Amino acid sequence: MADKELGLLAHLMRRAGFGATLQELEESRAQGYEATVDALVHPEDASDWDDDLFRRYQPDLNSVMYFESAQNYWMYKMINSKRPLEEKIALFWHGLFATAYGKLNHAKGVVNQTDTFRRHGLGPFHSILMELSRDPAMIFWLDNKDNHKYAPNENYGRELLELFSMGIGNYTEDDVKNCARAFTGWTIANDEYMSVRASRDSIWPSGRIDWQFEYRPEDHDDTEKRFLGRTGNFNGEDIIDIIAMRPATSWFIAGKLYNYFVSDTPNEEAISFLAEEYRKSSGDIRSMLRALFLSDYFKSEDVWYAKVKSPTELVVGTARLAGSFTTPQWDITNLASDANFMGQEILNPPTVEGWHTGTEWVDTGTLVERVNSSALIIGDTLQPGVQAMIKSLKARRDTYQPNDLVDECLLLVGGLQVSEGTHQRLVEFAANYGEVSFTPEDAVSCSEQQVVELLQVILATREYQMA
Amino acid sequence: MTTTKTFTYSHTIGFLTAVGRGFTNPVDLAFNSQGVIYVLNRAGPETTVRLPSKRVSMCTIDEEFLGEWGTGGQGDGEFWWPSSIAIDSLDQVYVADEGLQRVSIFDKGGKFLSQWGVKGSADGQLEYPSSIAFDADDNLWLTDSGNHRVQKFTKDGQLISAWGQRGSGPGQFQGPWGLALTEAGDVYVSDWGNDRIQRYSADGVLIEEFDGLPEGDAIHRPAGLAVDDDGNMYVADWGNEKVKVLGPNGSLLATLRGESVDSKWAADYFAVNPEEGQLRSEADLFPELDPPVRREREISAGVEGYFWGPSAVKLDRQGRLYVADSLRHRLQVYQVN
Repeated sequence: MADKELGLLAHLMRRAGFGATLQELEESRAQGYEATVDALVHPEDASDWDDDLFRRYQPDLNSVMYFESAQNYWMYKMINSKRPLEEKIALFWHGLFATAYGKLNHAKGVVNQTDTFRRHGLGPFHSILMELSRDPAMIFWLDNKDNHKYAPNENYGRELLELFSMGIGNYTEDDVKNCARAFTGWTIANDEYMSVRASRDSIWPSGRIDWQFEYRPEDHDDTEKRFLGRTGNFNGEDIIDIIAMRPATSWFIAGKLYNYFVSDTPNEEAISFLAEEYRKSSGDIRSMLRALFLSDYFKSEDVWYAKVKSPTELVVGTARLAGSFTTPQWDITNLASDANFMGQEILNPPTVEGWHTGTEWVDTGTLVERVNSSALIIGDTLQPGVQAMIKSLKARRDTYQPNDLVDECLLLVGGLQVSEGTHQRLVEFAANYGEVSFTPEDAVSCSEQQVVELLQVILATREYQMA
Repeated sequence: MTTTKTFTYSHTIGFLTAVGRGFTNPVDLAFNSQGVIYVLNRAGPETTVRLPSKRVSMCTIDEEFLGEWGTGGQGDGEFWWPSSIAIDSLDQVYVADEGLQRVSIFDKGGKFLSQWGVKGSADGQLEYPSSIAFDADDNLWLTDSGNHRVQKFTKDGQLISAWGQRGSGPGQFQGPWGLALTEAGDVYVSDWGNDRIQRYSADGVLIEEFDGLPEGDAIHRPAGLAVDDDGNMYVADWGNEKVKVLGPNGSLLATLRGESVDSKWAADYFAVNPEEGQLRSEADLFPELDPPVRREREISAGVEGYFWGPSAVKLDRQGRLYVADSLRHRLQVYQVN
């Protein structure tokens, strides 16, 4: 009989984090569902990840001279953070405000942008847009450094309305033009030198220099503008004030949050509920997510396992399950590479529209990669998380029949609930071993290997590959 | 005793290059008897294209490049996470490696001679050896950071003594990093995770520890260190992106933040790329950044002249102070007056 309470907590932790071990789920159960939600939406109450040890042994995690280090740093952080929703929301905004290393040639710039998403990602949407508009990587990515008083560049103004806040159909071309004019003068310091450095990446005499936001009043179009039916001498702040209050924005953000946290299939009623939360809370993302996680729209079993895990969710979740990469290790690069091969090169999305998600994560090539990567990580019996699972099995009983072994292993990988068909296939697989016994001593090694092989098959199931 | 020493920035050696005349994450340096400076380049991450950047560069105080040797890899004489470099009385060069848990030995031109070291926690075994130094008897001392102890070896790797364990009490360590030996035989250790410097006698008896600076001046995550003849301590205050000079009693005598300008090697590059040189000369490379909302490391990331990841501090025979400014790919040299 499935444990519904545990199943719901596991669902919450898959969506608001990167999954949880059985022990973590039991701790959450003791705390209660609502308290667990509150802890998730207040990540500032948990200790921050101390990255000194990692930066000491892998110096480029600090300077992020190279793109691999940028990916490695985020992988470490997602794996080791005690604030899973902080990372998850950073990943959400990274997908929505997709900014790619490929154009910037400045890996630390995109890392700094993710820090902005951590600091502000659960705050009011108004603040998020303000920080985004001042973010040097975004200014470089969408050419706002080339948006001048007498020569406006509409790239940022257009995407702010189309991709970042309201969506197409909710503004006119004139609104785009005037939006762009309002953001003239919003640039980065030393922009000419930084542009040359970005285009000729070979020589940074002393490594990269962090970009800094700079507002140049002399380059700002200080004349009257008409925007979304209002007229005034608008600057960028005024534009964001107007955008953040638009009903279209509430619907837009509600839809994006629903898609990311609940289901790949839209639900108009649920999105309407979330949009209303946006309006009631003045666009406070934390309030919206709390309401969402406590709602039946989220709790319903109809939406459990209704999303395909993104490659990042998959590799990070599996590494957390295995207890991998909790200390500095040079092969962390392989983890990011795995996600890259599955179609998600974090910090380097393919376009300003981000990644195509849902079932588009999976094709014949990426599916093989997803299964192989998971099997490789969980197949290492030296990993502390794998050892903990084996230890737990041994502690419960000495011998297991196939059906019992499958049930225990499904629990241990984070309260995974599978269909009857999947369960039957897993039992058939386990039956190849017959009874698995941890006594006598000379049987242990073989039994441990059989457990790991079963875990590898469990991680290949449709249910594990879904969130 | 109170020092009357002052510190004047002299010049910078090095700039970033993947190979050739320049450095990549220089984490340590050493001088041989002829005054040649050996600079150890850690580089990373460990992808195939970056491995050749793991190397030893040779140069002089006057920025003459004398060549380089070594490469990344896990074979004999190769480097993975090279951490420290020291030179014995015969001018042979020793390189510790935190990734391979070993010490490799080269002649003065970089020809590989031998290596020793076994991964593990038993006496004489290694777990992330962070810093090495020779005493007057040509014995090699080593901070065994993963085992939270100090070990003393003959230079061919025979264990002589070991002390220390994990903890924050007297005689304990938390990931010790820097190591400095004095003529009198004292051993100074940067106790990285405990934010303090410890001073021991040569036989491992704790003499004193230094962690009493007031908040604001306190050392955070100390890396390499050096000690002069007067007992003054020069500490790479890695966690604060500074170098601190402490008197023999641990009082703060000076704080250096770094003030680098282009080295000759960098200037040569811009001389032949005048368009970039012009734009660089017009850029503000010492911007005022707002400390209350930024950590020191974020300020260092935005101000090119400051130290960023200072890993090692060394004094040459003339008493000049060298700082391995690892994330800025250079050495900053100070005249000590």
